[in-house]
Amino acid sequence: MNNAKILAERREFIGEGARGKSIACEKNSASGAVSQRACVYCGARVVLNPVTDAFHIVHGPIGCASYTWDIRGSLTSGSELFRNSFSTDLQEKDIVFGGAAKLAAAIEEVAETYRPKLIFVYATCIAGVIGDDVGAVCRAAEEKFGLRCIAVQSSGFSGTKSFGYRLACDALMELILPHKRPAGTRGLGVNILGDYNLAGEMWIIENYMRRIGVPVVATITGDAAYETLIKAPTARLNLVQCAGSMSYLAKRMEEELGIPFMKISFFGVEDTSASLLRVAQAAGGGEIVRRAERFTAEQEKKTNAVTAPYKKHLAGKKAAIFVGGGFKAISLIRQFNAMGMETVLVGTQTGQPEDYEIISGLVGPDAVILDDANPSELEAFMQEKGAQILVGGVKERPLAFKLGVAFCDHNHERKHALAGYEGVINFTREVHLSMNSPVWGYVSG
Amino acid sequence: MSGNLVNLNVNPCKMCMPLGSASAFYGIRGCMTILHGSQGCSTYIRRHMATHYNEPVDIASSSLTEEGTVFGGEKNLIKGLENLIRLYDPEVIGVATTCLAETIGEDVPRIVQDFRDSHPDLRASIITVPAAGYAGTQYEGFFRALRAVVAQTEQDAAPHNGINLITGMISPADTRFLLALLAETGLEATLLPDLSENLDGGHEEAYRNLPSGGTPLAKIARMAGARMSIEIAEFIPPELSPGQYLEENFGVPLRRCALPVGLRDTDRLLALLEEAGGRITPALQKQRRRYLDAMADSHKYNALVRAAVFGEPDFVYAVSRLCVENGALPVLTATGASSPLWQEKLREEVAPAAAYHMEENCTALDNCDFDLLEEQARLLGVNVLIGSSDGRRAEEHLDIPLVRCAFPCHDFVGGQRQRMLGYEGGLAFLDSVTNAVIHSRGRRYRGELFSKYYHKAVPPSPAPAPGPAPEPATNRREANASKSAVHPCFNGGGGDYAMMHLPVAPACNIQCRYCLRKFDCPNESRPGVTSEVLSPREGYEKFLAVKARMPELTTVGIAGPGDALADFAAVRETLRLIRAADPDITFCLSTNGLLLPLYAEELVEIGVSHVTVTVNALTPQMGARIYAHVDYLGENYTGEAGAAILLANQFAGLRRAAALGMVCKVNIVLLRGINDEAVRDITEKAKAHGASIANIMQMIPVPGTEFAGMEMVSHKDVQAIRRSCGEILPQMYHCRQCRADAIGKLGEDRSLYFRKVAALPAGADKTAGVLRFAVTSRGGMLVDQHFGQANEIYIYDYADGRVCYRERRGVVGTGGCGGAGGGKAAAEELSAKMEALMRAVDDCDAVLTMRVGEASRERLRAKGIDVRLTYDRIEDAVRDAGQASPGR
Repeated sequence: MNNAKILAERREFIGEGARGKSIACEKNSASGAVSQRACVYCGARVVLNPVTDAFHIVHGPIGCASYTWDIRGSLTSGSELFRNSFSTDLQEKDIVFGGAAKLAAAIEEVAETYRPKLIFVYATCIAGVIGDDVGAVCRAAEEKFGLRCIAVQSSGFSGTKSFGYRLACDALMELILPHKRPAGTRGLGVNILGDYNLAGEMWIIENYMRRIGVPVVATITGDAAYETLIKAPTARLNLVQCAGSMSYLAKRMEEELGIPFMKISFFGVEDTSASLLRVAQAAGGGEIVRRAERFTAEQEKKTNAVTAPYKKHLAGKKAAIFVGGGFKAISLIRQFNAMGMETVLVGTQTGQPEDYEIISGLVGPDAVILDDANPSELEAFMQEKGAQILVGGVKERPLAFKLGVAFCDHNHERKHALAGYEGVINFTREVHLSMNSPVWGYVSG
Repeated sequence: MSGNLVNLNVNPCKMCMPLGSASAFYGIRGCMTILHGSQGCSTYIRRHMATHYNEPVDIASSSLTEEGTVFGGEKNLIKGLENLIRLYDPEVIGVATTCLAETIGEDVPRIVQDFRDSHPDLRASIITVPAAGYAGTQYEGFFRALRAVVAQTEQDAAPHNGINLITGMISPADTRFLLALLAETGLEATLLPDLSENLDGGHEEAYRNLPSGGTPLAKIARMAGARMSIEIAEFIPPELSPGQYLEENFGVPLRRCALPVGLRDTDRLLALLEEAGGRITPALQKQRRRYLDAMADSHKYNALVRAAVFGEPDFVYAVSRLCVENGALPVLTATGASSPLWQEKLREEVAPAAAYHMEENCTALDNCDFDLLEEQARLLGVNVLIGSSDGRRAEEHLDIPLVRCAFPCHDFVGGQRQRMLGYEGGLAFLDSVTNAVIHSRGRRYRGELFSKYYHKAVPPSPAPAPGPAPEPATNRREANASKSAVHPCFNGGGGDYAMMHLPVAPACNIQCRYCLRKFDCPNESRPGVTSEVLSPREGYEKFLAVKARMPELTTVGIAGPGDALADFAAVRETLRLIRAADPDITFCLSTNGLLLPLYAEELVEIGVSHVTVTVNALTPQMGARIYAHVDYLGENYTGEAGAAILLANQFAGLRRAAALGMVCKVNIVLLRGINDEAVRDITEKAKAHGASIANIMQMIPVPGTEFAGMEMVSHKDVQAIRRSCGEILPQMYHCRQCRADAIGKLGEDRSLYFRKVAALPAGADKTAGVLRFAVTSRGGMLVDQHFGQANEIYIYDYADGRVCYRERRGVVGTGGCGGAGGGKAAAEELSAKMEALMRAVDDCDAVLTMRVGEASRERLRAKGIDVRLTYDRIEDAVRDAGQASPGR
């Protein structure tokens, strides 16, 4: 271990080989260590932002709205409203006298001008500190204008990004609960939870469902709209794609709406096929299963035919992974394994003990596992372990390039799908094109 | 302020103070920044800067939590300083606050002083800057940090020959230009800040996390002794100006100039440098002459430019001056910052250009957001946008080019290499603006001039000419007609296409004397008959179930058993549900026509493409013999009165439906002695009202009706009548008079097989010969959980090599191993959990799990449940376990 790069208090969050399975995690970030983590507001905004026809109003000073304006790749088949960033743009005097009146006026104006059905109000750090009663303002607006106006108390300091996911799930429950399926009626079709339609991934999954004959009721929240969201309680089954952000919603929907859920994953060929078959078995059996079998077999064949030529260029190479949550990291390790690549570094921003235990079982004995890693650690270990590609978010990209390491974007800004069979092809191609680019011959040579 | 909303900023044209401060600190040598606030601020700002500069951007955070927010963040900040010193060993540390730290009232200078006192070995100089996001934009944050650096560095006022050159947020490439310019003039100078290397570094053998460029603190310490300060910023308030500080405290004369973009402002900077003793080289003079030459060369193109310029005040001002001197019109100028001075100076600056272009509406807006900017740009006929990537939505909406040349540029590459300063930089930049306008004109002018001047006959395929849009109904008519090809009733015999009738319309609003709606007689095949009446939801389910098993299903029809429009709500709901699930399915609907005029529009909206109206009478007298009564808008009409209403509405409805583009069919039921002589006339009239096909059919006498004894018209006669009427309207010779719940191809009703079908068969009842497995999984894809930690159990069945998911069972009594309470409560909780787990796996043959405790294993064994430890994809694990089971 490169000691100069590792803070004493960070040591317990890092493990090599067998030690990797019991590293510390789920703790506050070390101040000054340049954590890659974001905040509660970020988590809430990521989950809710794809709701296309909602007004997303940030109640706070301008920064939080400015940095989250239309930078994510969630696509829409309907309204483009969600691509805007609305902010109460609090000023010094609002901090002193309170911002609730400004928020109320803003909502009133939006309600009267646009007659929206749904508004989400994100209260950021300052709204929390100065004590604006955002909930009361929203409730009053609902009564006055007959719309849904839901407060998301997402002060950045009040927890981690995962807590933000939870707040978003609560906001969604608040939205759909009044639309309970009448007692005695049967649910029908499935909801898809935890896909954000980045580069059309929700559409890809919906197409699969159509091909195997399973109707989709609501998509949560990729390409979601008010009218479809409120139908969610009529579904018979919830499919959870991003378990990290949406398990909590699925659990609440199970307990309060009686909709069972199953976790699935559309990353990687095998997981995609297994998920489709499982959905078919749960949703209809019989003909639907037969169709799913046909469809997955056909797609696997097609996909493998496309990816096969890449494999010889990938086999034996070394990968580093630094992503937000444990499920994504695990899925990526398995995808690299399928390409014949070795994962030598794995880190997450918000992994849980079980994630790290699983990760340690999936990687080689020398791999390093890190929780809440910072740039210094990534730098030290990518070099020590000889990583040839890093999968991460855009903040890590320039670091990888400085170190002569290839890079793959696996975040919300990307413009190509990584889910489903199509996604496997895109991912394989992207890994190849970056890792085997001629530039490395000059840059690192 | 927004264009449409007074109380909201819609799509900000500004960023926050901490971003500006962090950017400025990046131009100080060996400087590392920490933001005192919550973690998100530093992460968002790093992301924004990393994508613009394409450099690693490390900005620490004190990572304030709830506790720090309530009790003060001192501990976090001190820990943060210690940690970043360990990791980066910086010479300078910039501590910028954020909204949060300022609002909770952190006394950062005091905390930092205590830190210095308690850390005698501290090598780094610490600079503090208050940067509440609500107190200004990145523009103010940038200068506030620079002033803090100068003011908090102990100054050596000994006079020297050098000058100070202070800039706002300019690109690394432009910074390099300024350094080169200073060298060329032979001046000793301190450039503050110097982003040239730190945010656009080269590829080095070894990576350094603290970049080595930037203005050294040692040089900053001598700024007080300089012979002159030149501040390239026109609009910063005096209290934020480093130059002002040096002038007030050390008497260093301050000169101010705009960003040297273009002729006048580059001249002005060079004049200042000359005043300070710099030499204007022949090479610079040559560059100037080249600029003049280009001004003449391009002026006619530049006269086409109607630009919207947006961004920081200095940027907008300088770019506007560049436009103005070249004869381009900055018709709209905007900044997100608040600056009345800027607004005033811009108006003055743009006035001569406005006069030259005879444009009275030039607009300068401060406090602007993109909502307002877009609205104004549209009004003012802007043809090019100049600013940051944040203008890309406006670019998309207005369909005009955006020339990106300011922070942030995160959707294009090269933000760090943008050039606009000096004669050459200004010229290259102006060329990109001019060329953007030339390019978009080149793309459009053929089409535009074609539609403007070409007024002869409509050409066969006017590619770029946007002719008048075809009337919607015409479009729809064509689309609907094309759907007839897959409609088994309209395509002349069905072919490979199947349809289904959904019995969701039980009510009827007229009484035909030949009809008795009888709900359960599966052996009768006749309109109006059905075995079940479905709710919209059930109808939808049935559709899905049938579609899943019969892919050739192309058409859904509503044909009763009552009238499809009598209780339209149910029909509407059914069709909407189905449409949402299948956008391609064809909808048809049969009605007596009484309410067709009322609902025709709505039918079109839902996507009904085919409508059939049963018209049996020509006159009210004839109708009175056929219809016993007509219920219309709450009244019951009998005799000729009722028939007259019905007939009038049938034909009005046909006319309306046809006008809306629906394919209209008329059904005529042959009633011997009543209408058999009038069929030709009815057909004629139907055609005149828009019907395009007719279906003439026999009346099937039903016991219990008034016409039970009426003799049927013979098949032979029916054919003769159809042939005769075929001269008027195409006839449907292939009608099979389907039931209201018919399913399948014509003449091949398979509805019996679909009765009460369950769309999603439920149930996890185990059948004999099947092995059942309980699986523990966190993510749902892998067997990746301890048995004792499972809060849910996945149930899978295995038989004959096939793996089948059955269900997910929740385990009540959550908490996992070693619940939080400890002691007795925890033990009780644990035992409750164990019982719940045992119940959940009770019917299973084996448990597949990652690990299991000895106690659990014993209890499972006692129940005869096998345990297999594995870590694999669930399906694979179940298959392996199934194959390994004895006797399989």
